[in-house]
Amino acid sequence: MTMIAGIGFSAPWLLLGLLALPVLWLLLRAVPPAPKRQPFPAVTLLLGLKDDESLSDRTPWWLLLLRMLAVAAAIIGLAGPVLNPSTEETGGRGPLLIVMDASWGGAAGWKQTSAQAAAQLEEAGRAERPVALLRLSAPEMLQFRAASDWQRQLAGLAPLPWQPGPDQLQQALAAIDGAEGGFDTIWFSDGLEYQGREGLIEALGRRGDIEVYEQPLPVLGLLPASYSGGAIELTVQRSRAGPAQEVSVVAQGKDPGGTARSLTALPLRFADGARTASAELSLPAELRARLSRFEIRDMKSAGAVALTDDSLRRREVALVSSESADEGLALLSPLHYLRQALAPSAELLEGALEDLLPANPDVIVLADVARLAPAQEEAVIEWVENGGLLLRFAGPRLAASDTARSGEEPLMPVRLRIGGRSIGGAMSWGEPKTLAPFAEGSPFYGLEVPGEVSISSQVVAQPDPQLADRVIAELADGTPLVTRKSLGQGQVVLFHVTSNAEWSSLPLSGLFVSMLERLAVSSSAAAPQAEDLEGTTWSPVEVLDGFGRLTAAETLPGVKGPDLVAAPAGPELRPGVYNGGRRMLARNVLRPGDELQAARWPASVAVSGYGAPQELPLGGALLTLALMLLAADVLGTLAISGLLGGARTAALAAALGLAAWAAPQGLQAQGTPAPEDFRAAELASELVLAHVLTGEREVDRIAAAGLRGLTETLYFRTSVEPAAPAAVDLERDELAFYPLLYWPVTRDQPLPSSQAYGKLNAYLRAGGMILFDTRDGDLAASGATSPAARRLQQIALPLDIPPLEVLPEDHVLTRAFYLLQAFPGRHSRGPVWVEAAPPDAEQAEGIPFRNLNDGVTPVVIGGNDWAAAWAVDGNGRPLLPVGRGYAGERQRELAFRFGVNLVMHVLTGNYKSDQVHVPALLDRLGQ
Amino acid sequence: MTRPVASEAATGLRHRAEAEASALPPLLVQARHLAGSVLMGEHGRRRAGTGDDFWQYRPAQAGDSRRMIDHRRSARGDIQFVREREWQISQTVHLWVDTGASMRFASSPELPQKAERARLLALAASVLMVQGGERVGLTGGSLPPRRGNVQILRLAEALSDDEEQDYAPPNDRALIPHARALFISDFLGPSEPMEQALSKAAARGVRGVLLQVLDPAEEAFPFSGRTLFESINGGVTHETLKASALQERYLDRLAERRTVLERLCREAGWRFGQHHTGDPAQTALMWLYHALERTAP
Repeated sequence: MTMIAGIGFSAPWLLLGLLALPVLWLLLRAVPPAPKRQPFPAVTLLLGLKDDESLSDRTPWWLLLLRMLAVAAAIIGLAGPVLNPSTEETGGRGPLLIVMDASWGGAAGWKQTSAQAAAQLEEAGRAERPVALLRLSAPEMLQFRAASDWQRQLAGLAPLPWQPGPDQLQQALAAIDGAEGGFDTIWFSDGLEYQGREGLIEALGRRGDIEVYEQPLPVLGLLPASYSGGAIELTVQRSRAGPAQEVSVVAQGKDPGGTARSLTALPLRFADGARTASAELSLPAELRARLSRFEIRDMKSAGAVALTDDSLRRREVALVSSESADEGLALLSPLHYLRQALAPSAELLEGALEDLLPANPDVIVLADVARLAPAQEEAVIEWVENGGLLLRFAGPRLAASDTARSGEEPLMPVRLRIGGRSIGGAMSWGEPKTLAPFAEGSPFYGLEVPGEVSISSQVVAQPDPQLADRVIAELADGTPLVTRKSLGQGQVVLFHVTSNAEWSSLPLSGLFVSMLERLAVSSSAAAPQAEDLEGTTWSPVEVLDGFGRLTAAETLPGVKGPDLVAAPAGPELRPGVYNGGRRMLARNVLRPGDELQAARWPASVAVSGYGAPQELPLGGALLTLALMLLAADVLGTLAISGLLGGARTAALAAALGLAAWAAPQGLQAQGTPAPEDFRAAELASELVLAHVLTGEREVDRIAAAGLRGLTETLYFRTSVEPAAPAAVDLERDELAFYPLLYWPVTRDQPLPSSQAYGKLNAYLRAGGMILFDTRDGDLAASGATSPAARRLQQIALPLDIPPLEVLPEDHVLTRAFYLLQAFPGRHSRGPVWVEAAPPDAEQAEGIPFRNLNDGVTPVVIGGNDWAAAWAVDGNGRPLLPVGRGYAGERQRELAFRFGVNLVMHVLTGNYKSDQVHVPALLDRLGQ
Repeated sequence: MTRPVASEAATGLRHRAEAEASALPPLLVQARHLAGSVLMGEHGRRRAGTGDDFWQYRPAQAGDSRRMIDHRRSARGDIQFVREREWQISQTVHLWVDTGASMRFASSPELPQKAERARLLALAASVLMVQGGERVGLTGGSLPPRRGNVQILRLAEALSDDEEQDYAPPNDRALIPHARALFISDFLGPSEPMEQALSKAAARGVRGVLLQVLDPAEEAFPFSGRTLFESINGGVTHETLKASALQERYLDRLAERRTVLERLCREAGWRFGQHHTGDPAQTALMWLYHALERTAP
């Protein structure tokens, strides 16, 4: 590489082209610019005026300069200039091995690592050294190839969300042993220590020099969040002790609308020289239930993410009471206070028990339910044994029933005595009882007992040997208030009072909410231990990539339960969210208790940080400059030819600028619109009448001719100027373009497919109109039904057709354009059916028609064979005879008038009908 | 899409005609608006007769019908008065507006075309004159002079026609003797037809006004560099390497042409005026109005 003025050139000989610039200058200068054309009426006055010989215009100097600069920029650009060319060539000549940790630890600085590796590859490429690349987190056999090969692959490499484990190191050693000859090594370390590194260093040291690049900043890792004592504990570790540092941990979750967002942020502070920082985050249960992950702000790394699982999640609580819903007694409802207490922190499900059980709620609350049906009881027992929490409340029904009288029942923690007891009432001695402080070991331990809570009635437990263990709250006199027993993996809890304020004031107090919360929390599994999960298999739902992004797990295999908790993350155990049937577990990169260690390198290995200005090839920029100068030249040339107006200049300049910018981005393929689009555009820009193809050629021909005749009539008589009519195939064509479909019904017409029916119904709903013509007006009038009419019934069955009536005298169709009372086609007697008027239509006073204001009838059904009466040939002569003599021509005229009215009705709706209001409006104006 | 019903050409023609017609009312409105700014009603005969303006009250005489008695005046006294109006006679005015292609030129989009301005002025003058009771028509017999508002509409329609040729010669046929005439053009074409027309008009006792409408660019010649000048239809071209060098000589020629026109007018007893499309139409209309007044016989 040749250096000129601090810039290296890869093809310096091209610079000789600059010598040709003066010649170009002379050449360009000799050619004058093209004349501009100027329209000028007074040119007659100019005729005969001669130019002065000496005054010929030359290309202006600034344009010449522009062109010279463009050419110079192109020449220099092609000569391959490079800013900051790396002049010190590394001494190595042999093959080069690039080793990368490629673990999550380096994900935050992956961009720099990548750039540095690219620079090394570039350099190796210039030195023509064969290069192999080894990722320790996913080692493969070494392949020494040209550096340019690796350069292309480098962009596709991403850090993986685990540390190189023993397996990977074993494979890496095998790969190194498999390579022949000596090679130098460049090692991009993530700065984290892991087992077995020494062996690798030794193996590499035997082959050649080792050079290590390491991020100077310590690696940060977020330990899994744990929930204890009402707060979430978050701990961040760093790999090296250093000066005091502050990081911020962001809690991500869903907002009430369901979109993911940052819920809150928690600052954590590393003390000077400390390696861990932790803090507690108190969140309302409502917010806590919506958390999905914690992450260190601005750290894109899998280790900086702590996923949360069921232990922090919102719980589903099913509420079941024996009472039927009675709106009047909301405050007496057994579920009212439960709803109020639980709604902020849990998903409430209500309904019948058999509907709720399949939803597999976390908690089922039975408020004063004495007995369950045997099948339900079994189902509930099974659900509890699988870890459900059954919360029961006593009440008059339970007290009156014989539930758990004679022996202990599975769904009742204790046996109950008959009838319960009442204290402090009008008919009893003594005062209402208060609560005793909660004993140690009770889940309520530590809750403050407010003095105003009093119990006036309760159900009483039979004394039993186990009773003492099962009581978790008692009254001041020692009678149990809340009892609990475990059943399988789940538990059953009984409140010996009602869940409303009938028997006690407990539901009115804040204590009630706290007790429920304690119970609900204790029902969620704490972080499971390895032995808890023995024998289970967990399938991944979403896994983290090295940068801490969650991606769908897709076909990853399941993981054994104990491994999920205990084993370090690796290719077989990716961090992410795992599903184990009833619950979700989050597996994070770091396990609780993990410690991050900074990498320690032997003294023999040279460790350096990243740095050194990078090589910057200037060729592309110079060529772009040349392109832009040429674009400016185009503008300049146009300007001096007078071909540019002010606004056009700006637009053209913008376009050229855009083109220059977009040129390197590659051209995008221009999609050519499909022919259907053209057709659609044509149809949409014109009014087109259409008839439905029946499959019978003669009928279709007459329909087409009829619509042609109607189109012509409309064209000459009205301001509706339709284009040539179209034929519509219901199965293929889009109907939306046609305001009116003429549908001649034949006996053998095939029924439309269901898609076609869908289209037809959509068409009718969107305001289209179909004119069904059974073409049997001669028969139908005498009361007979023709085959075509029967076919019409079959065709119309799946259509959205409103109730019909015979066209009433005051229908808008009778006066949309012409005043008509008969609607003949080729036949004149057949009735015409339209949508029935609403039953409440009233006749306005003094007006001969009713007040029918809304809607265009979606169908018109008749049998008068209108198309035949309308049909004309190419010369505009009628195709078929109608009636006899002059009376027939009159009938044809009336048929045309009906057609005109029909089209007007379709196009203008009930505009004519609105005129019933005219007298009223005039009346009002008169006042 | 084929159209069997009516030929594409006929529809197209009608659409274009409608588009054209939609431009007409603005022209009319503009013209009327312009005309409204000039006060009308002179050239009375200074004697009682048929007319609109009040002339005098005179005592009723035998033979006056009772309908003629002005009761408002008569009620003030015992004598009955008759209200007489001034006798006004109407003049005949011939219009010729150059419809050649050279008039369809505007040097910048902000300026109206010369043809537009010429039409506007002609029509506004017509409105004024029709309001004054004159008869207005076109030269050449295509639209004989008539009075009444309908004539304005006819004029507007007739003036909207365009001609293809670059420089249209003035149409001097069917001039009614002793009428007045208004010729509006840029007068950039050959001057012989103009001379002939004026001498013919003078021979018939027709007097009138020539109004030259020019674009500001034609007056200033703001061109430079290598330029190919061409007439609007491209029939006449002139190429120069340095347009700025031509400016002086061009302006000389323009002035010369103007002198010729002025001389012609003087000889024929006409008046000559100039208008630039960059100036407001109002001043031109005022000038036109007074010039027409003064040429009255």
